[in-house]
Formats: sequence, C-alpha cells, structure tokens
Amino acid sequence: MPHPRALENIRVVDFSWVRAGPWATRWLGALGAEIIKIEWPESERGRLPSSTTPRHLEVNLNTSGNFNDTNVNKKSLSLNVRSRKGLEIVKRLIAISDIVIENFSSRVLRNWGLGYEQLCEIKPDIVYVSMSGYGHTGRNHHYTTFGPVAQSVAGLTYLSGLPDKPPAGWGWSYMDDTGGMYGAMCALTGLYHRNMTGRGQHIDQAQMVSSIPLNGPALLDFTVNGRGSRRAGFPPGNRAHWPGTPLVNNYRGPTVAPHNAYRTHPGGYNDWCVIVCHSDEEWQRLAQVMGAPPWAGSEKFATLTGRLEHQEELDAHIEAWSMTLGKYELTERCQAAGIRALPVQSAEDRVEHDPQLRDRGMYLPMEHPALGTHKVQNAPFKMSATPAVNHLPAPLIGQHTREIVEDLLGYSHEELRAGFDDGTFWPTRRVRFPYMEEMLQ
Amino acid sequence: MSEAQGPLTGLRVLELADEKGQFCGKLLGDLGADVVKIEPPGGEPCRHVGPFLDDIPHPERSLSFWYYNTSKRGITLCLETADGRALFRRLAAGADVILETFRPGFLASLGLDYESLHEQNPGLILCALTPFGQTGPWRDFLSSDLLHMAAGGEMASCGYDEADVPNAPPIAPGGGNAWHMGCHFAYISIMAALVYRTVSGQGQYIDASIHEACALTTESAVANYIYRGEVPRRQTGRHHAVGVTNRTQFRAKDGTYVTALISGGLNPRNVRNLADLMDSYGLAGDLKEPRYQDPAVIAANTSHIIDGLLAGFIASLPAEEVYHAAQERGFTWGAVRAPEALLDDAHLQDRGFWKQVEHPELGRSFVYPGEAAIYNGSPWRISRRAPLIGEHNTEIYRDELGLSLGELSVLAESRVI
Repeated sequence: MPHPRALENIRVVDFSWVRAGPWATRWLGALGAEIIKIEWPESERGRLPSSTTPRHLEVNLNTSGNFNDTNVNKKSLSLNVRSRKGLEIVKRLIAISDIVIENFSSRVLRNWGLGYEQLCEIKPDIVYVSMSGYGHTGRNHHYTTFGPVAQSVAGLTYLSGLPDKPPAGWGWSYMDDTGGMYGAMCALTGLYHRNMTGRGQHIDQAQMVSSIPLNGPALLDFTVNGRGSRRAGFPPGNRAHWPGTPLVNNYRGPTVAPHNAYRTHPGGYNDWCVIVCHSDEEWQRLAQVMGAPPWAGSEKFATLTGRLEHQEELDAHIEAWSMTLGKYELTERCQAAGIRALPVQSAEDRVEHDPQLRDRGMYLPMEHPALGTHKVQNAPFKMSATPAVNHLPAPLIGQHTREIVEDLLGYSHEELRAGFDDGTFWPTRRVRFPYMEEMLQ
Repeated sequence: MSEAQGPLTGLRVLELADEKGQFCGKLLGDLGADVVKIEPPGGEPCRHVGPFLDDIPHPERSLSFWYYNTSKRGITLCLETADGRALFRRLAAGADVILETFRPGFLASLGLDYESLHEQNPGLILCALTPFGQTGPWRDFLSSDLLHMAAGGEMASCGYDEADVPNAPPIAPGGGNAWHMGCHFAYISIMAALVYRTVSGQGQYIDASIHEACALTTESAVANYIYRGEVPRRQTGRHHAVGVTNRTQFRAKDGTYVTALISGGLNPRNVRNLADLMDSYGLAGDLKEPRYQDPAVIAANTSHIIDGLLAGFIASLPAEEVYHAAQERGFTWGAVRAPEALLDDAHLQDRGFWKQVEHPELGRSFVYPGEAAIYNGSPWRISRRAPLIGEHNTEIYRDELGLSLGELSVLAESRVI
C-alpha cells in the first residue's frame, strides 16, 4: 500500500520563478501538495537562460537540467495572468486552493489585483506567502535582490574568507536555497496555523531579512559586547582562530586547533580534507594516526593554547602527512580512530563517490519527457508515515493546462481552444509545442 | 480579544539538542511553541561556546547559547538514570514533538525508542537530527560545522581567484551554517508531520541528516554535474563557474566592498543605465559615448567597462552610497556589510526588526535580531531569553508533573536533575 502524503489534498498556486520560490514549492510538492506553477513564456525566468541543458539537446523552455531539479513535483499551467480572462481563471483556481506563493518584487501581485485583501475575498482562509527581496514593508521594499546581493547586504558574505583579503563570500546563491527554505517553512507554518484556527494570513518573507538571523552570535557580540566583526584576524578562513591575533570566538563553534583544510593526494583541485580536533584526546589520537612522528610529541603542541599559538607550524606538519593519502582514505583512517575528518567534496564527488549519500538514496534516477533519465536530489529527511518523495519530473511548460482548466476548473474543451486562440493560454504568435497541439485535439 | 499569538501556540516541544539542533528549537519557540529544553545536569556543553558576556567565560554568559535558545524553558535531566528515564517518559507522554540530536541509537539504548514513546502517545512526532542520519556507512562518524561544509560541497564552491590569493584553499563560510541548513530541513519535516497530524491524529518518526541538508544547499552545482559533467571553479566573492567570469565585487572608497552584478550582462540598455548612474556623480568616463550602444563595441571593451570604469566609480564612493544610489536606479547591487552595520539599516528599523530582550537576572536588556518573515496574522516573538540552567525545574517537575519539593531535592542530590 502506498504511503499517505503529509500534504494530501493541499493545493498551492505557485507564481514563483527563478530559484528561491521554486525551491520552496519543490519541497511542498515532495510532501504531497499539488503544486500548480503559473507560467508565461514571454516573461519566464528559470527555464531560460539555461546553462544546464545536456549537450546533445537544443536549449529551449523544456531542456534546462537545473530547472528540472528545482521544479520536480509540480504541474504547469501556462496562463497570461496580465489579461482579463487569465486573471479570472487564476481567481477560480485560487478559490479552490490553500496556499498562494510568489517571489516577485513587493508590489507585483497587488498591481495585478491579487493583493492579500483581494485574495481573501476569493478565498477567506488563504495562506499567502510572499518571498520578496526586502519584504512588503519598510522604506527599501522596492529594492531587488539576487542571492549574492542579499548575502552581501545582510552580512553573510563578509563572514567568509581569509583575514586581510577581500571577502571570499559564497560561491553560489546560498540565499536562494535558504530563502526557499524559509518560503517553505512559512507556508507550512501558516498551513498548520490555518488547520488549527481556521484563519489564513499573509506571511511577508524577505530574502535579505531572512539572511540576518543566520548571523546571531556575531550580532550579539556587537549588541552585547560592542565588538564588531571588522577586526584583526577575522574572518579566519577555515581556522577557528587566526594565529597572532587576539583570541576571540569566530561564531562557528569552539576555538580549537587543528581546525583547517589540508591538501591530500594527488593534489588536484578538490583534493582537500578538513581535520578538526575538539580536545587534547582527539589531538593525541590524530598524532597516533599520523604514525606518532617526533614533531607531534613536541611540548608546544601538547596543549590547546600551544596548538593555537603554533598553528602555522602545526598545519604545515599535518599537511605534509595528509598529502600522502587520498581524501577518502584519510577520512576512513581518521574516523576509525575517532578523529573528526571529512573530504572536501565537489558535486561530482557527492553524486559519484560519497558512500553515505549513495547508501541513503540521495540521488535517484527519474525520467523527464524532454531530458531523459537523470538523477534528482531527494529529501534529507526520512518520515516514517509520510515519506517525502519525488513523484513527478519538472513539468514541460503548460503541460498540464488542459488538465487544470478542464478537469479541475470545469471549463469546456471549446473554452480551452478559445483560450489558445485568443492568447490566454499561449502567445498567439509563438509556436506551440507538440503536446499543446495534442491537448487541443 | 487576547493579544495575537504565534502560529505554533499550544504546541509542546521537548528539545534534547546541542549545537546541531538548537536553532530548530528556537525557530519553533519564537513562533509560539512551548519549547522545553532538556539539558544534562550542569547544563548543555554549548553553554561553553563563546563569545561570552564581557568576555567572562561562564555557562550563563555564552552569547551563542543565548542566541540559539530564546523562547525556551529549561530543565535538567540525566537520562542515564532510571529516575531520569521515568521522568522523561512522563514528559514525552504530554509532548507533541521531540527534537533530539543524540548519536544514532542512543535513546533506544536507554529504552526510550520511538516505538515505546509512540505507544503511550500516538500523536508524538520525534525528529532525530544527526550528522549523517540513522543508517549508512558514515552513520557513526564524528562531525563539526567545518566538516559538514567540506563534505556537503559548500567549500568546493567558495574561495578566491588565483590573482587575489594564489593557491588559496577552498573556504568554508563562517557562522555555523551547516547547523542552520540541517535545522531548516528539520523544521520543514516537523511542520509537515504536524500538518499531517491535524488531519490524521498520527505522529511519526523523522530521521533527518545534516550531511544531506548541506549536500542539497549548493544551488545548481549538482545539476551542473549531472547534466553537463561540469565541476566549477572557485572565484572571489561571486559564483563558482566553469570558465572565468567578470568580477562582481569591487572595493569602495571606505575600504569595504560592493557586490555589483549586471543582471542580463553588458547589453546596450544596461550600459546606458550604468552610464547614467555613474554620470550622476560625474564619473561616467567615456561611457556616455554613442559607440557604447553597439554590442560589438561593448564586447571589445568589457574589461575597460568593468575593471576600469565600474571599478573606478565604486572606488570613488562609500559602499553604502553606491548601494543605495544603484538600487534606486534599478540595479541589483549591495554593500558587503559586516553584521554590525545592519544595526544602522533604516529599512530594518522600519520593519521593527530589532528586539529588546530582557535578562532580568542581570537587570539589563539587549538587542537581538528579529524575524526572518513577518507573520501578519500570528506574530513571531521572542517570549523569553535563553533559560538559565534548570531554571524551570520547579515549574515543570512540581507544577506540571506534580512532584513534591522533597522528591525534587532527592533527584537533585542524586544528580538526576
């Protein structure tokens, strides 16, 4: 018997695009909600531009690999919401839905006539989650973000890097991923609250603002102790503390050494391992695993304060040893001895070489009608009663238009055809995909 | 009508969590759940993580502990005693959610497995948030924030251009974000289970993995590999990429940096807008010349425009001024701020972001960061500062479970609480 789904019978009207919003609804879909993605090819952002189309395929609206991974578990309705007729259709959809979610700039939905007050007129207990850059209130509500900009303005970028160098920042849109997390968290929390009280609400999530609570200890060090993060030795790279600078916690965890990334054999671009010793005992065990070399027995490394003070020398010694081992072999040896060590892993490493992710079924193949069969990322949690599973590949654009318009909303087939003819369901001068011609038969 | 309440009001959560899960407990508590943090007698080891109030180390002065444990009540309990286990069973009987971060198998080894707790409380949701999950070859591996950032893929994407830092290592962004990533997914799984329970009445067990959460938090890196076989390289202050891309991080006059992306790339329209922005400060150089409306001319002069004119423009002004001037003209740019600069942000003040939190035992209150999102119908709120060690022992063991003060004394003497 198939498992029940946590969000069975929950319907989500999903206006979101690019990454953060779609990443949120992807998880609601994995949990069993019906996600109806409202799209329009003329103003689409997320399918194109695509840098993840397999080399043997033409780049078009249906061949982005990253779009597929970001939009599994959804259906697609192509609809011109900016037309009077399109707006009427989307209102009928909202009337039978539970959640509306979007990640436009702060005034877009309201300007369409779909602000929270209007949504309530259509569906009084609607849960409306807006995922904008700066929120719907506050003087900078009209500012816009991408992940990297939210990260910069909110202080996340600054916390990444080596002292006396420019910020290294985050090499991807961390706040598109994490903004998506907050979007999903808000939707679920609002839904729970609705189920308990019967009341919906507007939840105003903002990418820049959601970044700030991720800097809590650094902010309290300032508001409580008056100590800012612009100081000598900060940020300390991969170390817990930069030698030769004042001993101050760096907000990652305990101040210990060794605590760094070390090169491993054979010295390729991602041949690195991290090793951390939280105690003297862990350090002694590391010394044993390294073969108890004479240098490791030196008095200056026997104490935590000594290891922090002599970190440059300590790290150079450790790296001379780590260079002799592959990163997975080093990991196995250290962990078998009770030492904290793991390899730096690229995406290729995670998909192909990580034994834990393989054992847990993190990347399982799924067939997509245009892309073929590829691995898709799965949920990082296993729920005993209602597992989160990927059950649909990302939709082709407009793939479910007929199903939604006729079966769900009750329009006739003639009305569907008329809507294609008048540009409600697809731009009249744009070539239709073959599956659209089929749905019009 | 009573004061508006948080969306999770009425939920009872038991948190047995260290650095791995305490943020998830805060997320639940700040949204209204009654989170009871169960610490070992003497206090949770996270209380020894700095920085400390006035730099004086003490388990009641850890700012890290303060931050991650707001809106919780605190009790102490030794689960490795028979009395401790019996008390825990009684607490679990009245709980909606248990969040635990013990090593896999630990609770079961004490006879506190989910099945038996579920038997006495069918609606109970138990989320075990661990470094690698309850199964698999790495299940018992040790971890840390840095280790997760390595194996999860974060470090492989972060670092420097060779020109900025030759032979730079991959860099793990700071702040303890591996724990945040795990906690976000744990929160999602718990809320999904709670929504399901509103319909079914049934609880369930959740096995959440921090390693998997981190491995999922690298945007398109996995898709880049799966669909193109590509493994990108690290670049200073901007996205990793297969090939070298234009800089987006520029040093401002005040020595801080600005993130200046040109969305859509350098096309004639963007160049025109850029020229107008720089010209409003008299710093457009030759960019107003009509020839820059020719895509071929733009392409041939990319380095001049980006590394010359744009970099020079930003170098002439304070970062905050560039940030606001550019945003007002529709550029998605930002100042690279240190966290403390956020206290001066007028937009955050408009949104009432910063909160005063009372620490009555100190006779002081401090400013804490506020909510990630504004719940207009059921407000987020820090209901109390982090608990002192065993602060609510009497309130919970006596007032709620009905133990006598005599029994409490005996349990305290034998280090059960």
